[in-house]
Amino acid sequence: MSTTEASLYPRNGQIHEGGVSDHAAESTFREVDDSHRAIPAIEFRNVTMVFDGRKVLNNLSFKVNRGETKIILGGSGCGKSTTIKLVLGLLKPDEGQILVDGEDITHYSEVDMMNVRKKIGMIFQEGALFDSLSVYENVAFKLHEQGVPEEEVETEVRRMLRFVNLEDAIDKMPSELSGGMRRRVGIARALVGDPKIVMFDEPTAGLDPPTARTICELAMKLRDLEDVSSIFVTHEMNNLEYLCSEYAVVDEAGDVVFEKEGEKLCLVNSKVLMMKDGEVIFSGTDESLRRAEDKYIQKFLRGH
Amino acid sequence: MNIFTRLLLDLQEMSLLIARAARGLLRKPRYFPETIAQMDSIGVGSMTIIMLTGFFTGGVLTLQTYQTLASYGAVDQLGYLVGVSLIRELGPTLTALMVTGRVVSAISAELGSMVVSEQIDAMRALGTDPIRKLVTPRILALVITLPLLTLIADVIGIVGGWVVSTWLYGLPSTMFTGSVRDGIDIDDIIGGIVKPLVFAFLMGTIACYKGLQTEGGTVGVGRSTTSAVVTASIIVIIADFFLAKALQIILGTA
Repeated sequence: MSTTEASLYPRNGQIHEGGVSDHAAESTFREVDDSHRAIPAIEFRNVTMVFDGRKVLNNLSFKVNRGETKIILGGSGCGKSTTIKLVLGLLKPDEGQILVDGEDITHYSEVDMMNVRKKIGMIFQEGALFDSLSVYENVAFKLHEQGVPEEEVETEVRRMLRFVNLEDAIDKMPSELSGGMRRRVGIARALVGDPKIVMFDEPTAGLDPPTARTICELAMKLRDLEDVSSIFVTHEMNNLEYLCSEYAVVDEAGDVVFEKEGEKLCLVNSKVLMMKDGEVIFSGTDESLRRAEDKYIQKFLRGH
Repeated sequence: MNIFTRLLLDLQEMSLLIARAARGLLRKPRYFPETIAQMDSIGVGSMTIIMLTGFFTGGVLTLQTYQTLASYGAVDQLGYLVGVSLIRELGPTLTALMVTGRVVSAISAELGSMVVSEQIDAMRALGTDPIRKLVTPRILALVITLPLLTLIADVIGIVGGWVVSTWLYGLPSTMFTGSVRDGIDIDDIIGGIVKPLVFAFLMGTIACYKGLQTEGGTVGVGRSTTSAVVTASIIVIIADFFLAKALQIILGTA
């Protein structure tokens, strides 16, 4: 599926309409019938992780449903990055179970994990681009490894770079790119092969607000137009604001535009999980997060 | 963790790394272009320093032993002495040490930086085994190129010795070359090739292991590089002794 031919309308079931039309109701039923969609994309069951005698994750349980973006909030060192590395099997939990697409990957070997990783895209904090390879080779890495013919590789790389709006940088080396561009190349690289699950590890950390906004827009496009399930780790409140109150649609001219949720529409495919010292202290929507009375949460939201 | 358990753990982890790297040779995907690229940077890239090291080692060996041999009236054996010392001992060891300084440090710094900047994780996330893609080609390239580099060092070293003996001491040219040719036998050469094979394997494993073990940011990269170079150098010298003894027993020259 290419981004240009991406569904022209927001997918059914992602947006609740105030007055439910017959059409919407009918498609909601269709959605429920689809048993595949009922399986969460990612599920953590009582996961505990210990580093040097310190519990980095303590009995962590949560689900990410299909097409949903789970925003994990929390201060530095609360176990956010560890969580997404566990999904990819880059780390192994000490206790508990991790399921991806209903498949228990907890005890998978590195070889088995390679197949699971094929359906997951991961965006690293600083982009983690391969320094010795050009932008083109970075994005093409997965395809080159699979031995895909060069013409196909080039078409796919250009398509991905267009998605992140960086086609001009195709021949540059990572060292010539700015922080935001590196992050976007990292996104393009992770999206090769159209993974249905995407992990964002603090993708906007250290970026200026407009660039950070661009990254959030990419995440929204994936969520609303590509039906991607994702975990978005961040500690920046404006990311939360964007992801929880705006959605991407394709307008009549065929351009992607972002609309704010209002009285008519309420976004239900973004959920917030807040962590502190490896434990979940909040799980729910952004509205209820703002209403939460917990002192730590209030301090986190307001910054004082 | 005390030093002994630490050492055992390192040994265990290194053996596992070797096993996984070896598996990379047997099953697809194999990374031949990477191996060739590594052979180029390790082998061809080290030629200059190896030639300089070889030449001056051969030269100084002649310089230092000439007086002693002259006092015994055995100057005609000069080429033999220089040749055997180079082929059996100095060629393999000095080449290994020079390559350790140049290549082991580079490998462990490169892999270390890749760990620190999450590139290794990114590679795994993209479905590629970094051991196959990065470790196997590097160890293989070292194992192939180090014996060749040693050979070059030996030859250039003998040339160095010949230059000093003829130009500085005015000995007849054929006296030196003749005693090299008559003195060296096949056992010396076998020993001189087996040693670098083993050294290369040890050096490559240590470099990759230390690099991949890096933690703690850029400071960690420095630490693991230092540790890789120090460990590899010491292991080369220790292994040299035991290999020399083992070869004497195997070849029956003890």
